[in-house]
Amino acid sequence: MKLLADWSSGWLGRKRSGMPDRDVRLETAPASGLDDLQMRLNHWGHLWSAENQSANSSAAQQLVAERLTQWIQRGFGQHVPGSLRGKGDQLSLATSTPILTAFLGRRATRELSRRVLRDI
Amino acid sequence: MPRLVRWIWLLLGIHLAIGMVAYAHFLVTGTYALISLYFLFLGSFYFLVMTASECILAFMCRSWFDSDEPMQLAWTMIACAAMARFGGTLLREASNGQLPWGLGHWLIPHTGGLFSNSGQLGLLVGGPVSMAFLAIGLARVLSIQRKFHLVGSLTRGDQALLFLILAFSISQIAINVPLLAHHPSLGTVLLWLSDPLLSLLLIEAVLVRRSVVRIGQGLLANCWGMYVVAVAITSLGDATIWATSHNLLSEPLTVLSWYIWFVAAAAFACAPAYQLAAMSLTREEILHLPETR
Repeated sequence: MKLLADWSSGWLGRKRSGMPDRDVRLETAPASGLDDLQMRLNHWGHLWSAENQSANSSAAQQLVAERLTQWIQRGFGQHVPGSLRGKGDQLSLATSTPILTAFLGRRATRELSRRVLRDI
Repeated sequence: MPRLVRWIWLLLGIHLAIGMVAYAHFLVTGTYALISLYFLFLGSFYFLVMTASECILAFMCRSWFDSDEPMQLAWTMIACAAMARFGGTLLREASNGQLPWGLGHWLIPHTGGLFSNSGQLGLLVGGPVSMAFLAIGLARVLSIQRKFHLVGSLTRGDQALLFLILAFSISQIAINVPLLAHHPSLGTVLLWLSDPLLSLLLIEAVLVRRSVVRIGQGLLANCWGMYVVAVAITSLGDATIWATSHNLLSEPLTVLSWYIWFVAAAAFACAPAYQLAAMSLTREEILHLPETR
């Protein structure tokens, strides 16, 4: 029991040392930084799901869709992009990632996503 | 065509070209001198190289998947099938005394008892054991393909083929079961599993072919397509053995049928090479993606 108590106090102590102090005050981030972050997150979100929001993002989405279509045609086969598209939607990372991950693995899909999103 | 696949077909082409010279010599002279040398040395070397390549490539494919990913199990089974084929080839060559550096003597003493010789053990490992692993691997692939609605519906031709395969399997079981009364060795009984397992693989191959037709002509489709080709060629080889044993083939045709196994080995090696090419494509700079406008 003593051993257990020593171990638990030691472990808790270690854990406590890694925790932030209660007195730490979070600095308020500048509003412009948050807006920028929010804009970036929305941009990536739209690229991921291919939802049409603005003319600018739709051009990027189209590029992602073109790159994905080209890769999937070479990697899988020419009929797969058609079956992955929804009703009139274009191919997106959201719709293609499950099948890519299943047949190529996470690592290869991550590499592919990186290349598909390059320069966008 | 991926570079590795090109190398495999090139090796097969060179090997078959040399083999055709030996075959022509056999046709002209009617003697087995040259063709025996070809199958004994070059043939053995070719099988060792192909099965070893297949094994390495399959394990490389497996290494791309994490342990919690469903395809890892599929590639583990396929890699085990490849390893069993390589092990079976090694044991057969050891039994024939074809391995250098006394490796044959090192392998042979470990057999005996249940098996009549190491050659029979090699046939078992490279045959039914390998087929069983491949059947599990392909079943796993089919279940994942079905999840993504990639397996197309069977045509009437497919259904007729499946019926024929099932009828053949049942007839083989009906022939082999009464032979159990003659107390054959365990190795012989286990080797009888080849036909049912090959039938199972053919059924899976028909289903995988449907998915390949549905997917199109990509690297992954070619990977699974190669397994279909390999299983079909193996079945053809099996059929020629059966035809030879029933004296249905002439002598030149029987000799020609021995070359089938070289093509099957190349097809088995090409399948993981295609998968590896598809996965490597995600890293290659040569992939010409549309640029930003």
